[in-house]
Order: sequence, then C-alpha cells, then structure tokens
Amino acid sequence: MDASLIIWMIGAAIMAVALYTFIGFIPGTDETSVLLPITLAIVLSGVDAMVVLSFFIAAIVTLNLTNAMPTALVNLPGGVMSSAMIEHSIVIKKAGRSAEVIKKMAAASALGVLISVPLSLVLAFFLTPFAETIAPYSGYLFIIGAIFLSLISRNKTLSLFSIIPLAVLFMALRHLYWGLGIVPEDQTITVSFFLGITIGPLLVSLFRLLNKQIFNDSIIDKENHISIPKRNKDVKKVNPFKLLSKEEKKHAGMGAMIVNFFFVLSPVGLTILIGEAFGKRYKDPFKRAVMSVTTMSGVVQATYLSGIIIPLLALGIPLSPVAIGPGNALFNAPPVFDLDNNIHHILGFSEFTLAVIIGAVIALLLSYTLITRYALQITKVILSYVPHEAVLGLFIAFIVLLAYMDAGFINIFGVLLVGLLSGTLNRMGVNYGVQFMSLYAAPQLVAFLIGAF
Amino acid sequence: MKHALLEIWGDVVETKALVFSIVIITALTMGAHLLAPADNSTMGLFFGIGGAVLGFLICVKVIKPRRHITIEEDQ
Repeated sequence: MDASLIIWMIGAAIMAVALYTFIGFIPGTDETSVLLPITLAIVLSGVDAMVVLSFFIAAIVTLNLTNAMPTALVNLPGGVMSSAMIEHSIVIKKAGRSAEVIKKMAAASALGVLISVPLSLVLAFFLTPFAETIAPYSGYLFIIGAIFLSLISRNKTLSLFSIIPLAVLFMALRHLYWGLGIVPEDQTITVSFFLGITIGPLLVSLFRLLNKQIFNDSIIDKENHISIPKRNKDVKKVNPFKLLSKEEKKHAGMGAMIVNFFFVLSPVGLTILIGEAFGKRYKDPFKRAVMSVTTMSGVVQATYLSGIIIPLLALGIPLSPVAIGPGNALFNAPPVFDLDNNIHHILGFSEFTLAVIIGAVIALLLSYTLITRYALQITKVILSYVPHEAVLGLFIAFIVLLAYMDAGFINIFGVLLVGLLSGTLNRMGVNYGVQFMSLYAAPQLVAFLIGAF
Repeated sequence: MKHALLEIWGDVVETKALVFSIVIITALTMGAHLLAPADNSTMGLFFGIGGAVLGFLICVKVIKPRRHITIEEDQ
C-alpha cells in the first residue's frame, strides 16, 4: 500500500464529515436515504475499496453524532435513530439544560465509537471461520432472518404474514422487467426496491393528502414554533472524559459493548431497549432523561459500527439491518460489487482495519470538535434557511432517479407500488428490518414455495 | 390547490412550496441525469445527484422555512 492511498482515505473521510455534518443537522433526514445513494455513487466511481470503507465509516460516525443535535436542541429528530431520544430530549429542553447536555451526548457518542470499533473487529475476526460454512446457505439465512426479525418485533403475526406477499411483489416486478426485456435476465433489481421500502411511509403520507377529506383534516393553522437555547457559558470544557460522570461513562460504555453481540438486531430497537433500561434506574425525571440520552448516544454508534463491520469483515453477506439498509452498497453495487465479490473479498484483515480506523478517528476528531463548539450556531442556521419542503423534495427526486436508473421509466411506478405497500405495512406495524430481509429472501422464498406446493 | 400548512414527518410544510420543491428537484435531477453519457451509469448517477443538489439549493433560496425561531433567554 502506498502513501497516496492513505491520503485518499483521509480525504474521503474528511469529505464524509463535511457532507454528513450538514445533512445530520437537517431534521428528518432518514439515515438510509441519505447514506445509500451517496455511498453507491462513491462505489460506482471506482475508487479503491479502502477509500469507500473509510468514507462510509466516517459518514455513519458523523451522522449518528450530528443527528442527535437538532433532537436535543429543538426536539426535531435529526434521523430515524434519534427519534428514540425525543421523549427524553423534551424533558431536558424543558429543564433548560439542552445546550449543556449535548456535550455529554457527544462525549458518550465518542466513547461508543472507541469501544465498538475494536470490539467489533475482534468479534468479526472470531466469527470468520464459521462464515465459510454458512456462506453457501445465505439465501436461506435471509428467510430465517425475516422470520426471526418478525418473531422479535412488536407485531409478530402481522410481520410473519407480510413476508410472502412482499416477496411475491418483488419477484413479480423483477419477472415483469425480465419478461418485457427491460432488464437482462442475469440482473436483479435491488437498490431501487430498497429505497422504495425506506421512503414508503413518506409516500403513503403524501398520497393520503391527495384525498380531499384527509387533506382538509390535516391542515394546521400555525407554523412550527421552535426555541433554540442560548449559548452555554461553560464552553471551555471539551475533554470527552471529563464531561461525563462516572455513571454516565459506565452506562454508555456498557451499552456500547453489549450491542456489539447483537449486531443482527434492529439498531433503533436496541437503542431504545438499552437506553430505557439504564435510564429507568433513576427516579428523578431529569436525571433519568440525561442518563437515557447519554447511554443512547453511545449505543447508536455501536449498533451502526458493529452492524456494518461484523457482517462485512466476517461474512461478506448483509446479515444485519445496517448492512442490508444504509450499508447495502458496500455489499452489492453492480457492476463494481456483488455478493461474491465485495469489500469482504477484496480487503484483507489489516487493510480493512486500517480503513475503518482512519474513517472513525477522522470523523470523531472533526465532528466532535465541531459539535462541542458550534452545535447551537449550526442548528440555528440550518433551521432558519433549510425548508422541510426541500428535504422531502430531495428524497422524492433520489427515489425517482434510482428507480429510473435501475429499470427505466416503468420502474418509477414499480417503486411507487413497492413504497405504497411497504409504507402501509410500516404504518400497520411491520418494521423496516422485516421488509428488507423479505427483499433479500424473495428469490429463494418464491422458488421454495413453487417447489413445495 | 390552495395554500395550506400541513405537518408531514415531524415538521410543518406549506402545500404549494412542497409541490414546487418536489417538481423542481425531481425535474433537475432527471434532466441532469439525461444529459450524462447514456452508456455510463456512474456519470449518470453523479449528474443526477448534482441536479438534485442544484434543485435543493434553489429551494433553499426560494422557500422560507415554516419555522418560527426564537432564542431562549438565559439557560
């Protein structure tokens, strides 16, 4: 490896920090929708696999940290993950302490990264021998995964019942495109269906508004009133280890450690579970809220890092919600990567480790410094100038673009169909994890059903 | 369609501005994408994202966010 490759990795990480600091502060920017298209573009541009990996790791570390800022400061969740923190953030904001607590959150977040990067690398290292034996059965693993995620979700029966219809829809569209000759038979449409699932709930919300009655009922009479805390006087203290109390350090650290072992589970689910469990020990509502959000800040980082590092390094198959979701392009981005030739196959252990460390360290140093000093100012600028309308417009444009690129004009409507179904199921209570797993399980599942009956 | 404020995805939007954003950003995204060389999907994606960013910036310039921001007094 030469020095220029390292410079490339550092450059990619810095670029990721700059881009995702901005995106992270914009409320409502769903992680998958903002990570997937950009990562896909980076992969397709043909840069070295190590550069791609550094970029992605820096992107998730930055995004997880910055998403918590609008959540804590103005109670608008920065992304899906930070929606877990919203209740506690309201308590903290009402107490007038949010400017102070965001520093604790940033410190806990840094702690989460420092714990989970080495731990997930070690876990992946020990899991690798088993990967050889399970890899040939990956198709069945996705079916088992879809069933497993249904069984641990809140709506078990509903989720189980939705797996096959979803699989049938995905395969029906693929066969339609193959049959019409729009897509060559050796090519499987995944990326745009994937974003269709992600953006489904938004599509359903927008479609419902086309119903006059629902539209009239949804009208509200005032703008969103938001108050931003004034700059905290205590700005000098930025050492992450001094910002946290002993107990906060213990909980954030322990939480980050635990979730590494559960990398196949839903990141949002884990974050809520562990954050609430550690917060509950405190009677005082303010103390409980602070403990929950600091724990969650550490846990969020760990769920994302372990969710991408372990499956990518040990297996090369997207077997966690993070890998199937936002990190999908690292596994599957034809023609550059596919399930038999991706970062897992291209990079050795030491190259992989180096790329991860460069991404994580640069993201932590830059975004931590930026946030502990300027979080309030950035929030104010973003909220004053970036309209929510533009954010929603951007999501719609991304999905139209990727749908068109995957299978032409007709697929825009194919993806709309996917979005409307999965968004409706989502509202009814079928989580993203089950739906993503169903997408991956679809070919084997449909083949199995036809063979069996 | 009339002007109205709605809450979608946790924040307030104005209907006309929303339709404007969706149309402008999607049109620029697809327009830029179609300008790229047809045989190169990487350039196609880059052009498309470029168009999306341009559309996004236009909306940032033209649309005023429906947020009423105040700065809290002493913490």
